[in-house]
Amino acid sequence: MDTTGNNNQVMVDLTRVTRTFPPDVQALVDVSLQVNRGELLFLTGMSGAGKTTLLRLISGIEKPTKGYVEVSGMDLSKISRARLQKLRRLIGVAYQDFKLLPERTVAQNIAVSMEVAYRSRLFIRKQTRDLLAQLHIVDKHNTRADKLSRGEQQRVALARAVANKPDLILADEPTGNLDAESTELVMDLFHRCNESGTTILIATHDSSIYNRPDSRIVTLDCGRIVATKQDADKDTSEPVQYGPETLFTDCLKLLDKDTSEPVQYEPDGEES
Amino acid sequence: MNFLFAVFSQAGRNLLQTWRTQILSLMTITLSVLIFSFFYLVYTNALQAGEQLGDDLRLIVYLDEEAVPALQEQYREKILKFDRVERIEFISSLQAFNRFKDQLDEDQDILADIPQDFLPPSIEVYPVRSLDALSRIKRFSDYLQTLPGVIKVQYGREWVERFYTFIELLRIVVILSGSLLVLTTTFMMAHSIRLTLFTRQKELELLHLVGASNSYIRMPFFLEGGLLGLFGSLAGIAALYLLFNWTQLRFAGSALLGMFSFNFFPLPVIAMIIAMAIILCACGSFSSTRKILSR
Repeated sequence: MDTTGNNNQVMVDLTRVTRTFPPDVQALVDVSLQVNRGELLFLTGMSGAGKTTLLRLISGIEKPTKGYVEVSGMDLSKISRARLQKLRRLIGVAYQDFKLLPERTVAQNIAVSMEVAYRSRLFIRKQTRDLLAQLHIVDKHNTRADKLSRGEQQRVALARAVANKPDLILADEPTGNLDAESTELVMDLFHRCNESGTTILIATHDSSIYNRPDSRIVTLDCGRIVATKQDADKDTSEPVQYGPETLFTDCLKLLDKDTSEPVQYEPDGEES
Repeated sequence: MNFLFAVFSQAGRNLLQTWRTQILSLMTITLSVLIFSFFYLVYTNALQAGEQLGDDLRLIVYLDEEAVPALQEQYREKILKFDRVERIEFISSLQAFNRFKDQLDEDQDILADIPQDFLPPSIEVYPVRSLDALSRIKRFSDYLQTLPGVIKVQYGREWVERFYTFIELLRIVVILSGSLLVLTTTFMMAHSIRLTLFTRQKELELLHLVGASNSYIRMPFFLEGGLLGLFGSLAGIAALYLLFNWTQLRFAGSALLGMFSFNFFPLPVIAMIIAMAIILCACGSFSSTRKILSR
């Protein structure tokens, strides 16, 4: 997707990003993060930690108060409207509130992301059917979106996010309304996309989906990155206990110290 | 999916989803076109009728003595210097007497003892049959009166002035109804598209989020406006045609219809009205979407 023409390996690059909402709510504070092409990254943290804001900044919906957000080498604060539109066609976003069109059918909702990219009708039809089959909702093809359960709506939103074969997928709590079986289906879909080279950022609370040895996890709290976990083979940092409550306490300590240095965690849950 | 296909399918979907609003807009456009084209039709037919009446319109310039050929040439030059005319005829006293005699038909006897040169010679001037010529006829008459040897100039002054006033009034009505058409159509289209845009905020927001280009969002509305203009004006013209035919049938045999031939618009005029409605509606929708998209 490198529309700038350089062969940069970094897909997402956030440099000292702060996002403040009026009157003075700091959703993100001095966050720096790099996500390489083809990487699968989990953003974790408690509600209100800033995960959704981070995803919104990356998709260009929000603008940072301070700092820079670059996606595929393009600085989103300097990008033209037309280029942002092109860039968004290469980013698949699964929103926490799904953003489905209630009066349209499941197939029509999924087709939206492909239609704006002027995909052929044949491609749209095939891709829609494939995705519905993968997510076990083929029978809902012609069902109106507002007639679906929350779990089904979530799967449709995910199908729409991946339908246009984007280079970057941003998923906000993609398994929040799903049972274990559906969660597995969704994660299989994400892993298949990731194996084909797609960069994926997943914001989630669900530890069952990120507790894999090969996952890179970034934990946010109070708008700061408080922990990162690299791939298991690269992780040589001091392990700390891995859990939201401990993270929150650590976050407060960090805030007391007024530092944004990340703490390193290990997946087995032992605190150093 | 190519751009045009995407635009047409979007526009079709929009029209189906908001058909109630669209029907209201369509009716407004139809009515606006009907009002404008009705007055325009009356105006064009009145002009035509004026031209038909103009066949009998002439200025008779009475002379104090017979004009010899050299004088006739001088008169001709001076008349043509003032205005374009269709023809100029010099009537001698004898010709005038013979005409009068023919008009009397069976009562010609009354002229038996009257000298054949008792009627003055004259010049009959037939102005060009146009509204402009009608508007200038009084000045033309005044000018002819100033020519040497002219005793009197006669024409249907009262009729010409009334007709000219009527045509002027119609011209104002046509301009007003035309302006009304422009305002109503543009305003109505802009507002109905704006209403549609507001009811579809969620969809527009999603389209922005998935990277839809401005033209992808705007073109279907533009097309929608154009289609409404096309169908609205077609319906308006069709309604006027029905009304026209009904009037022709209803008043067939009446003295007025017998005197003049009334005609419906020729095809180029119909095409012009339709094109105007399409452009106005498309512009209305374009301005609405531009406002929304620029936010």
